[in-house]
Amino acid sequence: MLIDPGPDGVFESCLTGDMKTLNAHLPRRRKTLSELQEEERPHVECADGSTHSFRKKELEYLAQMVDNEDKEALLLPIIIEVGHGEGRLTVRSKTGIEAVIFSRILEMPIACRSDMITIFKPQLQVLRRVLKTTTQYVFTT
Amino acid sequence: MSTKVQVTRPTKIELARLKRRLKLATRIQKIVKDRLSILIMEFLDTVKDCSSVKERLLAEFKEAYRALSVTTGYHGYAFLEKELLASQMALTIGTATRNVAGVKIPVFETEDTQTPGSSIRKTPDTSSLIDNSTTLAQKCLKTTVELAELQNSLELLGTEINKVKRINNALEYIVMPGLEATIKYLTMKFEERDREETARLKYVKLLIEQREAYAY
Repeated sequence: MLIDPGPDGVFESCLTGDMKTLNAHLPRRRKTLSELQEEERPHVECADGSTHSFRKKELEYLAQMVDNEDKEALLLPIIIEVGHGEGRLTVRSKTGIEAVIFSRILEMPIACRSDMITIFKPQLQVLRRVLKTTTQYVFTT
Repeated sequence: MSTKVQVTRPTKIELARLKRRLKLATRIQKIVKDRLSILIMEFLDTVKDCSSVKERLLAEFKEAYRALSVTTGYHGYAFLEKELLASQMALTIGTATRNVAGVKIPVFETEDTQTPGSSIRKTPDTSSLIDNSTTLAQKCLKTTVELAELQNSLELLGTEINKVKRINNALEYIVMPGLEATIKYLTMKFEERDREETARLKYVKLLIEQREAYAY
């Protein structure tokens, strides 16, 4: 049966629209741990205008793990990239503090190679259980 | 399920357009699948948390009711009712939202504005039993708020999983097979056209040769 596919671009715009909303929760600007600790209600503004709040307990937990210098460098939320391969996720980190935090939580060495930290799904589960509000996902192809 | 051929113009441009669409649909399906797996992982984690918090809440309620029963036995129902009516407790719950793979989930945080048991006025007649029952009741309240957050998260995540599943199924069983079938149909049509063209050319060549042979 022949059916009209409709005007060209409708399909693409529908799907790309979906993709835009998918990553709309990403923060406009990430804040440092020390900045967030000073706030009464720690939060960041997202690209879609909404806010993403952090739990104070999680911030305190992270503050215990890093020293004062790293508190100024650690940007939150930590963004986890999904879509690099089967069961593999990456975290971009210029300072490598994230690798230190992850290795402490997972109790195993986590390496930061060329500004990238690679983690796997079972590790992600453990990390997300501890860092629920201080991590966020980004979907890539 | 039969797949529908979605084409009205059997042209090469249409074929190129369909191939582009299929490529895009494949890429998007991959992302949708990734999102679905993340959402399911979060959902299962929340289920685990929810059940453990529920168990904790039941244990706390049990303890709180036991303490209340002991207090009632010691002071008497009328005295306890009078004391509880006179006491006040301010409960502050901070609300915010967090985002999990595109799902806005509420965050409830109870703020400790007063020390446990401080809501009960202290008179010479009151005992530590009342303080103990109040502390336990406050603990129950906090856990209830925690459970409310988790239950709400479960509901929201479940709804989103259903939505994403529908998109994934639509892509997997309707859009992509339709596009593949149309591409196949067009490719076959063009091949058929090529074959017809070759046969026609051969026939024309034969006709020319025959005409030239008759001319001599």
